[in-house]
Amino acid sequence: MHPELTEAPVPATAGVTHGQSDAITVAGLRKSYGSVQAVRDVSFRVRNGEIVALLGPNGAGKTTTLEILEGFRARDGGAVAVLGLDPGDKAAARELRERTGLVLQDIAVEPYLTVRETIARQAGYYQAPRGVPEVIGLVGLAGLERRKVRTLSGGQKRRLDLALGLVGGPELLYLDEPTTGFDPAARRGAWDLIRALRAAGTTILLTTHDMAEAQALADRVVLLSSGAVVAEGPPAGLGGQDGERARISFTLPPGFPVTGLPVPAGIHNGAVVIETASPTAELHRLTSWAVQCDVTLSGLTVERPSLEDVYLRLTRDGAPAGAPERSKR
Amino acid sequence: MTAATLTGGRLHRRNRLGLVLHQVRYEQLSFWRNPQSAVFTFVFPVVFVALMGALFGGVGKSAYFGGLSALQYYVPTIAALCVLGSCYGQLAVALAARRQNGILKRIRATPLPAWVYFVGLLAHCVLVSLADIALIVGVGRLYGVPFPSQWLAIALTLVLGAASFCALGVAVASVISNAEAAPAVAQLVLFPLLFLSGTYTPIHSQLLNRVTGWLPIRPFNEALTGPLARHTGPDWRHLAVLAAWGVVGALVAVRRFRWDPRPE
Repeated sequence: MHPELTEAPVPATAGVTHGQSDAITVAGLRKSYGSVQAVRDVSFRVRNGEIVALLGPNGAGKTTTLEILEGFRARDGGAVAVLGLDPGDKAAARELRERTGLVLQDIAVEPYLTVRETIARQAGYYQAPRGVPEVIGLVGLAGLERRKVRTLSGGQKRRLDLALGLVGGPELLYLDEPTTGFDPAARRGAWDLIRALRAAGTTILLTTHDMAEAQALADRVVLLSSGAVVAEGPPAGLGGQDGERARISFTLPPGFPVTGLPVPAGIHNGAVVIETASPTAELHRLTSWAVQCDVTLSGLTVERPSLEDVYLRLTRDGAPAGAPERSKR
Repeated sequence: MTAATLTGGRLHRRNRLGLVLHQVRYEQLSFWRNPQSAVFTFVFPVVFVALMGALFGGVGKSAYFGGLSALQYYVPTIAALCVLGSCYGQLAVALAARRQNGILKRIRATPLPAWVYFVGLLAHCVLVSLADIALIVGVGRLYGVPFPSQWLAIALTLVLGAASFCALGVAVASVISNAEAAPAVAQLVLFPLLFLSGTYTPIHSQLLNRVTGWLPIRPFNEALTGPLARHTGPDWRHLAVLAAWGVVGALVAVRRFRWDPRPE
């Protein structure tokens, strides 16, 4: 385990802390397929109205976790509550399906119906669905209502898929890699829609292996690796103390050795690199020195580690869990 | 189908019926727009009866055809073949494909009770079979086969046969794991049995007839031949065998049916 990780808030009081403000609580979740432990120890919670991203490489256990929450798979151990109900309890299944929506990784729409018919059919399954034209507008398929599904582009089908997840008016929406296969514009559009849903009060749990997506959308990120939570928190603060360290880099003109600098520094790819927890003070010392010595610090940048850096560092040690994210068919 | 979905506490009786009709409506829409279904359902039986008419149209009542004319023999067996095609063959293939591409999983995630989904499929298959039988009887009339009179017996046989073959179709879809294999598996079982059960030509082997009499196809042929060609009422003995196969299929389907493309 990584000592610097923020601790997930749930585990110690597993299953007991579930309050009105939690849409999902997961504590000590375990699931194996044969001898393969797909989920070893996963604990997190999703508060009402939040967007939480399950982030991690393939085989980290994201989809298995999601499928246990959705009621598609039985867990081996641990406590799970979704909207106050246990998705493993068959008696709760009906109510949960009424109150949750989901979008799967695969596009799952029948080819010969029109866009409008496909959504209207799904709407008929719910007690209090959203209006069909409203949903068509929400996902940006207006004008394509009468098109047959098989004539839609891949991105349009994805949006139709999203419409099917929304039409029941869910309190909680699961999105399994929602923007895979989208072009950049469509992806922005989907992000806007997801934010709009949150603004309307929908709680969203999504999986992604796209750091940019997690950073752009999620209020909090749960980082999984090899079936366990390795970090959890807002995307900006993920990775604990390291999130506070900044990296200053620049190049010195020839003739100025690194050792002449007023602060300790290293060389990386020909550039001077300073890693520091107090970038403001260090930068002041550096620039004062540079002005005094009439030296130009060319290409001067100050960066915080990106979510991607944190992600790669935290998931590097965890060898792939062996459980393929998607089995061969 | 779990107990939870069967009770469906919050749905009133009327809503359930509405939901079944809702399902049937979209199954029908989806079905008739698929050019493949239209071909199999409309063109195939018409061509088949016409072909048999061209070949055997002149063959009057004969012992070879069990005291019927050739066309009187073929109208019921081709009708049975079409019911088999839409209820067993197409259903098994369609369900395997829907499971593979996630459509079944997606339906499972909605509050739609599982039994409504299956009753909707059955009702859809009965409707398609009705259209088929009407078509076949109509074309048969052109070749001199008189219209049947025992409509109630035909309806009963049709619904029971459709239900049994639907159950067997769902059972086959439950047992096979991938959509590519579905047509092959479905046909592999079907084709030899069709021949041996006298669908394409009368079988005069006592032994063979006794064996196939306990399998699903021959009893269905017989049960349809009575009211369609001999003006007799329901053929209870053969219907009982058919129903037993339906129960076997339903048991396998209930135990083995999966909504998820990936096994646990």
